[in-house]
Amino acid sequence: MVTFEFILYGFAVLTSLGCMLLLFRAYAATAMRLLLWSALCFVCLSINNVLLFVDLVVLPTEVDLRPYRLFAALAGLLFLLYGFIWEAE
Amino acid sequence: MEDSAFSDEFCRFIQTCVTSVDAAELLLKLARQPERWFEPPELARSLAPATTISEADLARYLAQFQAGGLVAIGPDKRIQYRPASGTHAKHVEMLAQAYKERPVTLFRVIYALRDLKIQSFADAFKLIRK
Amino acid sequence: MIEFMSGAVTLGFVIAAVFFLRFWRRTSDRLFLVFALGFFLLALNQALAQWLGAADERVGYAYLLRVIGFVIILAAIVDKNLARGGPGRLRR
Repeated sequence: MVTFEFILYGFAVLTSLGCMLLLFRAYAATAMRLLLWSALCFVCLSINNVLLFVDLVVLPTEVDLRPYRLFAALAGLLFLLYGFIWEAE
Repeated sequence: MEDSAFSDEFCRFIQTCVTSVDAAELLLKLARQPERWFEPPELARSLAPATTISEADLARYLAQFQAGGLVAIGPDKRIQYRPASGTHAKHVEMLAQAYKERPVTLFRVIYALRDLKIQSFADAFKLIRK
Repeated sequence: MIEFMSGAVTLGFVIAAVFFLRFWRRTSDRLFLVFALGFFLLALNQALAQWLGAADERVGYAYLLRVIGFVIILAAIVDKNLARGGPGRLRR
């Protein structure tokens, strides 16, 4: 079960990191700020996923990282929505 | 009018000043009577019934024209076509020509440019960039 | 405070999903449709985790939705790279 969870949550971490890298790469190529804000969103979602991984897989009983996870997710969404509202028109 | 007429410079003009087909029609309406001062509501009505423009859109387009150096806005809020330079006037002439001769291409360019930023988000996920 | 933040995050994911739907309508690029679905699942995960409470949450089933959300996002990326041509970029 631990291995299963390890793979699942590890997968979420890798996917969000991948999105982040692709968006940063595209931002470097096009200098479109929408991509920068989106990349920063995935930085925060990656942090969120890493914390979730630690919280649920590595130290399931020792720590409760929920406040930090929520803070990271909220920061990421604010980046994304700011970009969508101001840079996507 | 060839495809090459849609130069980078002309496309930038469209991207900043002509963000929809309605905006193009408004601008051309103004440019056809360069002497005249238009009341904004009357200007919008003059395009009806073929085109209806909401008040919010109208205000946005006029602000874009003003920021792009295409019109003068009087203290009474009336508006007159007044390109800031020969280049500005040339772009509007090209717009008029494209609207008359190649409207489909023009409309496609207008919407493609408007969605360029959004499209760039989706294209960011292509691993192999062309 | 946790409840408030959790609600804000849920709503944030929903709004992001709605934006993706709107981008899909505007560009006809399927990636946006799939991203919208992924973000809806992330919202659902957040809402469920909060409803179930911290004690239940540690069982982690609600978090499967989150993982599925990211699987869907990955699927969108794979689809983007496999699609040949796809809808024309100039299409409204």
